[in-house]
Amino acid sequence: MSDLIASLPPSPVAGSSVAGEGDDGSQALRPWRKRRRLPSSPLYAIVRWGGAGLFAALVIGLIVSIVSQSSQAFAHSGLSFLWSGTWNPDAGDYAGGTLVAGTVITTLVAMIIVVPIGLGISVSLSELIPRWLAGPLSTSIEFLAAVPSIVVGLWALLVLSPLFATDVEPALERLPVLGWFFHGPAYGPSVLLASVVLAIMTLPTVVALSRTALGGVPLADREAAMALGATHWQVVRRTVLPGARSGIAAAITLAVGRALGESIAVALVIGNRPAIPHSLLAPGATLGSAIVNQFAEASPGLGTSAVIALAGILLLLTILVNVAGQLLVRRRGGRRLLGVRGAVV
Amino acid sequence: MRTLRSAGVPDSAIPDMGVAAVARRRVVVRDCARHSIRRRRMTGRAMQVICLIAVLIGVTPLVALVIATVSKGAGALSIGFLLHAPTPEGVPGGGISTAIVGSGEIVAYAVALAVPLGLFIALFLFERAGAIASSIRFSADVMSGVPSIIIGIFAYAVYVERFHHFSNVAAGFALGVLMLPIMVRANEEAMRTVSVDLWEAGISLGARRSRVARSVVLRGALPGVVTGNLLALARGVGETAPLLFTVASPTFAMTLLIFNDATQPFPDAQQTAWGTALVLLTLVLILSVTARTIAWTLNRKTR
Amino acid sequence: MKRSRIAHVLFALAAVLIAPCWLSVANSAASPAATSAITLDGAGANSIAPFFEKVFYDYEQLHAKVTVNYSPAGSSVGIKDIQENTVDFGDSEIPMSASALAAAKGGTVLQVPVELGGVAISYNVPGAPNGLHLDGPTLAAIFDGAITNWDSPVIAKVSGVSNLPKLAIVPVHRADSSGPGWDLDQYLIATSLNWKLKIGTSKPSTSWPLPDLGEGEQLNTGVATFIKATPGAIGYVSFGYASKAGFTNAALENGSGAYVLPSSYTIGQAGAQATHLSATNFSIIDESGPSTYPLANFSWTLLYKKQANAAKSAALDKLFHYVVTTGQQQAKSLGYSPLPANVAQLAKTTLAELQS
Repeated sequence: MSDLIASLPPSPVAGSSVAGEGDDGSQALRPWRKRRRLPSSPLYAIVRWGGAGLFAALVIGLIVSIVSQSSQAFAHSGLSFLWSGTWNPDAGDYAGGTLVAGTVITTLVAMIIVVPIGLGISVSLSELIPRWLAGPLSTSIEFLAAVPSIVVGLWALLVLSPLFATDVEPALERLPVLGWFFHGPAYGPSVLLASVVLAIMTLPTVVALSRTALGGVPLADREAAMALGATHWQVVRRTVLPGARSGIAAAITLAVGRALGESIAVALVIGNRPAIPHSLLAPGATLGSAIVNQFAEASPGLGTSAVIALAGILLLLTILVNVAGQLLVRRRGGRRLLGVRGAVV
Repeated sequence: MRTLRSAGVPDSAIPDMGVAAVARRRVVVRDCARHSIRRRRMTGRAMQVICLIAVLIGVTPLVALVIATVSKGAGALSIGFLLHAPTPEGVPGGGISTAIVGSGEIVAYAVALAVPLGLFIALFLFERAGAIASSIRFSADVMSGVPSIIIGIFAYAVYVERFHHFSNVAAGFALGVLMLPIMVRANEEAMRTVSVDLWEAGISLGARRSRVARSVVLRGALPGVVTGNLLALARGVGETAPLLFTVASPTFAMTLLIFNDATQPFPDAQQTAWGTALVLLTLVLILSVTARTIAWTLNRKTR
Repeated sequence: MKRSRIAHVLFALAAVLIAPCWLSVANSAASPAATSAITLDGAGANSIAPFFEKVFYDYEQLHAKVTVNYSPAGSSVGIKDIQENTVDFGDSEIPMSASALAAAKGGTVLQVPVELGGVAISYNVPGAPNGLHLDGPTLAAIFDGAITNWDSPVIAKVSGVSNLPKLAIVPVHRADSSGPGWDLDQYLIATSLNWKLKIGTSKPSTSWPLPDLGEGEQLNTGVATFIKATPGAIGYVSFGYASKAGFTNAALENGSGAYVLPSSYTIGQAGAQATHLSATNFSIIDESGPSTYPLANFSWTLLYKKQANAAKSAALDKLFHYVVTTGQQQAKSLGYSPLPANVAQLAKTTLAELQS
């Protein structure tokens, strides 16, 4: 979306060299006179500061609300909540440890699936596919990002799941080396299916941000490599991909952030068993899916507090990953990319 | 390097001459020339094929999804489907009108919250550069990645527990909080595309900041603002998690209806789910296409 | 200048006026008596959803100004929402315990029996007949993993069917708290010593005691979907759903040794045994009789004794009077059984305690 907005007609006078740079690359006003008070109506100031204050209140309110409501669960179980493996809702034990493990496993497998495919697509889009086709193709991949997660979940549950149960999962069990990951009975809903769904949902993020990163490699580097006799693929592999490294890292990090938070589609297809899965074909549970299934019926007091503690763990993980992603994006210098969802909304 | 730079060559065209960079380049050249041209070309071809296979793999789920939704959902679609309220099992003539109206109501509340607030915050970020502004900008970026289920829990605690009833307003609040960071950043980006020179011209004519913001910045940024907000709206229409804990009944929102009916073993419930999914997908498509068309036509106008 | 100042003021006014906080204040402050339309929000048991949907729909056709919303998210959701006072009525297959009642934030909770339903043991075994005879110990062995295949000699002996296919048994239970789970748990406790030993207690629980064994699904719908899609699956489903889905159900051994299939009649026979029904003496599991189905239970609507205003308490009173009288006519066709006369009387007496 940042491309979209930036592609809107700029003003007739190109002003990029005029303004000074703000602390994060924003176009701050040229400090032609320090601290000069420009004429301004008090209403405008109220509007601006009110908006900023409300936003700060919302953010702080969100964090405080989650933290305070989960305090009861942590007081009851201590930090062992984070790695506990027992599932006993009546005692407020929601097996935080197994859920974190489940979240990590699904996200990891999803990234293993999506990163090669996403990189392959972005390399294709920027290098291989002719321009007249690359535009519509990348627009349609971005459309995948606009598809509501519940529709993806519906399709995965009603179309993919039977397909997996009858064809894909038995085939995977027979693989020579990797087959060990895929043992056990296969009924359709499984960690593998959830990972595939997450991969589908994070693909547009990876593709869009990687493509921007690949496009940001200076032409001079490519031309230099070509002048030295490198083939097209060697140019890509030796010059473009390494040059886009930090952008691709940002893309992957933000995709991880998106995958962590996806709860509805995962809840539909993961099978909801709160135990560490012994095989990728077994049902499992993630933090998000457990919250979806347990929040409404958690008994007031300790039960609800435990579920909100799960939400707190998820929030912390997501914030850490997103902060890392945003820092990676900013470290590239140049324009600030919009984050996870904004990029391909 | 000094002379190159002072001659006006942009930084991106000046090669790095540090020891490490030179060593890296030597490695690249050596590796590139290691194999015969024929071998290198074959590798290139193979990688091309792999990349194109990746494209096929990547595009297939999208195509399959759209085909499945259209083919299975079309069977459920009819004028009655859109206009009638849901009926219990066995009573014919049911539809999803309450869900469409309910979704519309929830989104309306969300827009009422997020659009003005998004503009105000973006104006704040535009007018001000400093620690407060950059921390708000950074937290907006991070907030846009917060899982929607957590925002749903927040809305439950703030509204439902306080006022003791589930309501579409609570859902609208949750959705608004979700859409807000996206709108803020889109608005600010749009405002930044307006040239600083124009802003300064307005100020130098003696206009107040609010006047300049209104006539110059907002007017210039309007296409971007509309596009960004429409895209955020398209995103918000498709959200389920914020509605889970705030809405009184699953028949009040299309996404909740799909969530409910998807898990039912009965064919007519599944049929309703597909039909609703088709309606939702069409709506999201229309919103996205509208947003992009606005951007595209305005791009053409100034060319 | 003056025009823009007016514009400023108008803009500020508009911004303030559409602020959602005003909407929510208006929303929550609007008393139902001010408008004549009334909305009743309920949440609770999944098992009674088909019945409630039909009866509420009929009631809305008769009373245009009343809208009833029911969210069938599970008995425990109903209990929690009533405790938090976020709904007008809840519904639970198992009445609230004393501690749950004490945690209710709105005062005394009335528990009204509104429906009589049953729990079917449904299975998906290609070639198996409907009404497979199963008793408590066999069922316990299936659900605790002691028997793993459908062609096991134990099943052949109890059911009398010896040509069951060589298919792995996939037991599926409710991953959320449920009334049917409580029913089956109590039935197994009453009939199987092995089960009692395995779970280590003789008190049934709404949370399935062996969550790591077999598959767990959410709500009756999740269990039903799984059974339908998985050959070899066996699980417990509210009979309202099982009959609609056309499942093959087991004929269970009841208190007098007879093997009975679930049906509206046999469930009614179980309900007829509830001569001294109350919220503390509510179980009709494993009753005796030639055609008494052993897995039946009443569904209990939860209401606060003291309602917020007269309009609401009158509306709730009228609605549930309808449910326990005229509404019972819908029971049979949906897989439930009409309330016995004494239970309907108990319901009406309890409803009479509603105040405002």
